[in-house]
Amino acid sequence: MQHLDHDRLVFLALGESEAADGEATHLGTCDHCRGEMETLQHVAGLGAGTQGLAELPDPPEHIWQGIVAEIRAAEELPALTERRLPRPADPVEPAAVPVVARRPRRSRRWPGWATTAVTATAAAVIGVAGTAAVLGGGGGEPADPEPPVVASAPLTAFGSTPKDASGDARVLGDNRLHLHVANLPSVPGYYEVWLIDPNTMKMFSVGTLSNGSGDALLPIPPNVDLRTYTVVDVSAEQYDNKTGHSGDSLLRGTLTG
Amino acid sequence: MTAARQGPEPPGEDDLATRFRDGDEAALREAYDRYGRAVLHLATTTLVNRSDAEDVTQATFVAAWLGRETFDPAKGSLVGWLLGIGRRKVVDRIRASARETRVVETVKQLPEPVSTGPDPDTVVDRLVVADELARLPDEQRRMLELAFYDDLTHQQIAAVTGVPLGTVKSHIRRGMQSLKRRWEVDGAAPGPRPAGLSGAR
Repeated sequence: MQHLDHDRLVFLALGESEAADGEATHLGTCDHCRGEMETLQHVAGLGAGTQGLAELPDPPEHIWQGIVAEIRAAEELPALTERRLPRPADPVEPAAVPVVARRPRRSRRWPGWATTAVTATAAAVIGVAGTAAVLGGGGGEPADPEPPVVASAPLTAFGSTPKDASGDARVLGDNRLHLHVANLPSVPGYYEVWLIDPNTMKMFSVGTLSNGSGDALLPIPPNVDLRTYTVVDVSAEQYDNKTGHSGDSLLRGTLTG
Repeated sequence: MTAARQGPEPPGEDDLATRFRDGDEAALREAYDRYGRAVLHLATTTLVNRSDAEDVTQATFVAAWLGRETFDPAKGSLVGWLLGIGRRKVVDRIRASARETRVVETVKQLPEPVSTGPDPDTVVDRLVVADELARLPDEQRRMLELAFYDDLTHQQIAAVTGVPLGTVKSHIRRGMQSLKRRWEVDGAAPGPRPAGLSGAR
């Protein structure tokens, strides 16, 4: 006998009609037709179980916020999410080393124009604040060319930091780090700037910031390897006689040349 | 119109799946708005603890986003892929709590049966079929809902809707084919396929 018509299999599967004698015999011997009918029966059973699934309640917003926070943390620096940081002087324990250092995806999330725009904004702010005051030491000659930018990083709010906190870091060719920050939450202590190697968790302090919004130029060692210390981090610190990172990061970004 | 489909991805979705894969953050939010409730439903129906279910939902989207480069739109839909990730996380969570229960039982010497919720595979399969059902042309969906939910015969559906019997039959046949094809692509455990059937006709 020929295979059963597909329409016929659908109706048999839905219990629409009984299999006639010849059909029943065929189904008993033909794996193809029987398998197809059983599949259709199974799908019909699943279909009967879908009632109400079209009107499921929306998930609570805090799940979304959790997703965003976790993704930000993971993309920036997986190991730092543990909030337990090795002190800069300590040897790095093996457990604190991230198994896989996820390559930051900054370049994809921040198209070139965005970085340029941020940098331009920062430059404009400097212009307003006065080149002499911000860049310092130049004697105020307007002819002073700004040193070339070796690497830069947009800084974004980290963890529970309010999302309007932001910043921009630029490594200048004369071994200085230009930081522009805005809307940092006020803290009882002070802000400290760090350069971190995401692979080993080694870090060192570059200096402190006096204001939650504004610009600062901090000297960095001429021999620092910026391909290693790629993460710029701004933390909230207490006057507690502890020189290490508090674990309370406010802003973070990854330098790209 | 269903015959015009090029791949398993329903029309209108190629864009979202592609943007998601390419790392467009707006696509992540869009995917969450569309499919977050399905993933949460999978987790809440299979896990006893609500906060576990929310954790799993969160972890599913985080894992999906960080692993988006492994998503292949040619192999299945975005929602099917998300539910697959969610299913694995649910199963891990169930296994972990079963281990904890065993430890507690050993200590207490009290054999207490672990309450078994619905099978995650079945929940995923239902969600996939529900998703496809929602995408069917209105008429096909209406006929199938009458058959599935109200258990009406084709004859009764024709009488209730005033649609000719032959049309009812053809809507149902086409609709069933779409559901089956979708389940075979995105289902959790479609099981052994019937010999000689490649899925599409």
